[in-house]
Amino acid sequence: MSQASIEVRDLVVRYGAVVAVRGVTFTVGAGEHLTLLGPSGCGKTTTLRAIAGLERPTSGEIRIGGSPVFSSSPAVNVPAERRGLSMVFQSYAIWPHMTVFDNVAYGLRVRRRPEAEVTTRVREALDLVQLGDLGARSASKLSGGQQQRVALARAFVFSPSVLLFDEPLSNLDAKLRAEMRVELKELQRRLDITSVYVTHDLEEALAISDRIVVMRDGVIEQVGTPAEIYDRPRNTFVADFVGSANLIRGRRRPDLERDGLVVIQTPGGALVHGTSPDRRVGAEALMAVRTVRLRLERARPESAVNAWPARIRQRVFQGDFTQYHVDWDGRLLIVRSAAPDPLAEGDEVFVSAEPRYCVLLEE
Amino acid sequence: MIRSWRPGPRLVSLLVGGGAAVLVLYPIAYLIQASLSVGDPQARPPDAYGLANYADLGRYAHIFGNTLLVAAVATVLAVVVGFAMGWILSRTNVPGRAAFEQLMALPYYVTPLMGALAWALIGSPTSGFVNQIWRALGGHGHLIDINTPWGIAWVMALFEGAVAFVMIGAVMKSMDPALEEASQVLGASRLRTMLRITLPLVLPGVLGAAIFVFAEMLGSFSAALVLGLPNRFYVVTTAMYQLVSQYPPRFPTAAAMGVSLFAVMFAMVWVYRRIVSGGSYATITGKAFRPRVMDVGRLRWPFLGICLGYLGVAVILPVLTIVYASFQRLTSAFPRRDNFTLAIYATALSLDAVRSALWNSLLLGFATASLGVVLMGFLAWLIYRSRLPGAGVIEYVLMFPQAVPRLVFAFGMLWAWLVFPIPIYGTLWLLLIAYLTVFLPLGLRTISGVILQIDRSLEESAQMCGATWGYRLRTVTMPLLKPGLVAAWLLLFIASVRELGASILLMGPKSKVITPAIVESWFSTSSELTAALALLQTLAVAAALAIMFAVARRAVQAGGE
Repeated sequence: MSQASIEVRDLVVRYGAVVAVRGVTFTVGAGEHLTLLGPSGCGKTTTLRAIAGLERPTSGEIRIGGSPVFSSSPAVNVPAERRGLSMVFQSYAIWPHMTVFDNVAYGLRVRRRPEAEVTTRVREALDLVQLGDLGARSASKLSGGQQQRVALARAFVFSPSVLLFDEPLSNLDAKLRAEMRVELKELQRRLDITSVYVTHDLEEALAISDRIVVMRDGVIEQVGTPAEIYDRPRNTFVADFVGSANLIRGRRRPDLERDGLVVIQTPGGALVHGTSPDRRVGAEALMAVRTVRLRLERARPESAVNAWPARIRQRVFQGDFTQYHVDWDGRLLIVRSAAPDPLAEGDEVFVSAEPRYCVLLEE
Repeated sequence: MIRSWRPGPRLVSLLVGGGAAVLVLYPIAYLIQASLSVGDPQARPPDAYGLANYADLGRYAHIFGNTLLVAAVATVLAVVVGFAMGWILSRTNVPGRAAFEQLMALPYYVTPLMGALAWALIGSPTSGFVNQIWRALGGHGHLIDINTPWGIAWVMALFEGAVAFVMIGAVMKSMDPALEEASQVLGASRLRTMLRITLPLVLPGVLGAAIFVFAEMLGSFSAALVLGLPNRFYVVTTAMYQLVSQYPPRFPTAAAMGVSLFAVMFAMVWVYRRIVSGGSYATITGKAFRPRVMDVGRLRWPFLGICLGYLGVAVILPVLTIVYASFQRLTSAFPRRDNFTLAIYATALSLDAVRSALWNSLLLGFATASLGVVLMGFLAWLIYRSRLPGAGVIEYVLMFPQAVPRLVFAFGMLWAWLVFPIPIYGTLWLLLIAYLTVFLPLGLRTISGVILQIDRSLEESAQMCGATWGYRLRTVTMPLLKPGLVAAWLLLFIASVRELGASILLMGPKSKVITPAIVESWFSTSSELTAALALLQTLAVAAALAIMFAVARRAVQAGGE
């Protein structure tokens, strides 16, 4: 299948007085799966629709496969239908007045493919989304999950150079969403097509992306692989939005720093060793550590640094893991542990964390 | 779609807005101009301006009093009917609820004119059926008199009751039953819940309905004409009609009356919109609830009686009366075999005037509906879909005719198109323009309801599949809009064929239409012939609709395959 790269440069989208996207720059490599992640109103959907050509940007430049499809100077604006992209909509946008087959065949018929080819390719596409026998059914008589699959098949059947996804799973229930997430990833790999995916769901983003762009208020907060975003959030927003993290405030202790580690001292006196991947921070610093990266043990661990005595205040059993609220250094830490051996409320324990999971934040 | 059609959305909105303004505001401007004319009343344009006509309105205070009386009585009656029916049909387990809800559309199709004609036959003091029976039973004088303000209010209330029902019923249905359940769970009795929770929640809706109905009633014309004229009882609209059609006509006075009425109605519609769009509508959450149905025990049967009673006096009795009268040589409450005849219909159909009026009406209805659907579909799409600058203002202007009684609007048009360089005065063209203008709100509301239901992404996904503007319109937009467009066509057709207020002023001697012809027949020929004409009109509408349905169904089927 064909692949195309996407370059977005200094993109600004303004609706009257409201600026939805304020100068966004990123690229998507050919064949790459990129996700725009952020809370509602952060400009991620607007950015996607600008790439699609459904939204007219105020300024900036968008190139697909090297050639500009939008540019404010010189003025270029290729209409959506001539950008060679395809898109899966949040509402699915399945046409209720057509059959499943006609829905999927639409893009091929627009391109005037011979009817024999249309039939074969629609069949293949429906098989790929496991709807092989539903072609003749009216599209208005489908379940949510089936509509989702039809929308997918319709989007890729005509071999577009880029696939855009606008929160495609947000209307499904939790269980179906988890299933579709895996299927979608499998489909992406098989189609091997460049894709841009928009979601506000962290797990979805982590599961299906090669790279994630975290957005807030129309600007990019961080770009990185799922692992980078998760374990090395750049600032409090990313740390907070992407999963749950403990934030520890303290004063820098450059005198104790060695082996490339940074050290902060909390108001309560605890020393926390951590890493600072290219972060510019002052004397007062904030560190983030994921709740799942903290360990609780009855005996003092052997590691030399980042092990402190603490006390279990509350235990909340949540099935897949147990959440502990721990008194530490005059404050609460939240620790999620999947360990089978439960600790009791009131237990005196040691809490520890590897320095590579303690990350200095920019504020 | 507008996005692929870049060249100047500002220009498009200017053109559309300008066009709409001409259609809607041009007649109103002339109405106001006429009301300010204090020189020679026949002079056009006026040779002197002043406010004397308004100062002069004091002499007609009794007419304004009459209007307020009729409108107030009818509003109270209609709201009581609407509230009772709304509550019974949406909140109690009265037998046949679902069927009654459908049947409640019927009073709307029995127009105020039909209702007035039928009730005149039933309740006029000398020859009314009820009074004939009263005297046959030994009574003296008359039992009821429909030719009074109360009679007019009665007929109007029967018609507007269905309107109030739709509005109040919608509010009752959209109320979250959890609000009432919460009250009961906290220990309140059923009565307390009704008084403290239900009533306050539906009150804004009831108030909105009352204001809407009152405004409609102020501008109502046909019932007051049919029932008020014999006793020289005038409301503002009929007085205006009288002033314009008498000799010499007194246009400036009529215009001043029209402007006053228009100002009041405009204020009321404005208040109504405020109430509807105001935050006081806590009951409307946009979710569809299954309304909680209350088991009312034996009260079901009295409630069933109320429902049947309303449909009886609003639909069954009037229609049966008209049918009965149209088959009689001389209407009498007591059927005699030798009094029955088909001759009335033979007469009606043999009259050239009737045939041409009927034909003109059907032709106009067809043209109005067909042109209207295209025009209003385009306008609705521009307003609600194209993100045109100033779309809100255009919508406001287009909805303007809602606040103007059709007779008043027609008066403005009469004045405006007389001076128009193209001679369309006295032709069907003028009626066509008038219908298209006064029915703008009706058509826009119907079509926009459908447009707003169609998610924008349905068009966008076609675009993402590579379809061009025209291809999308043909394969996605139009097929999805089809049911709404068909509904709008039918509504426009029915409304046009039955239009009276605008037609009666604007039709020329060679371009008669059927509804004014029915009114003329009522005052100048026999009630039997009038009844036959009213039925013929209804049958013609029904036949035209049946044909349309058949054609539309075939088209939909052909398009679907």
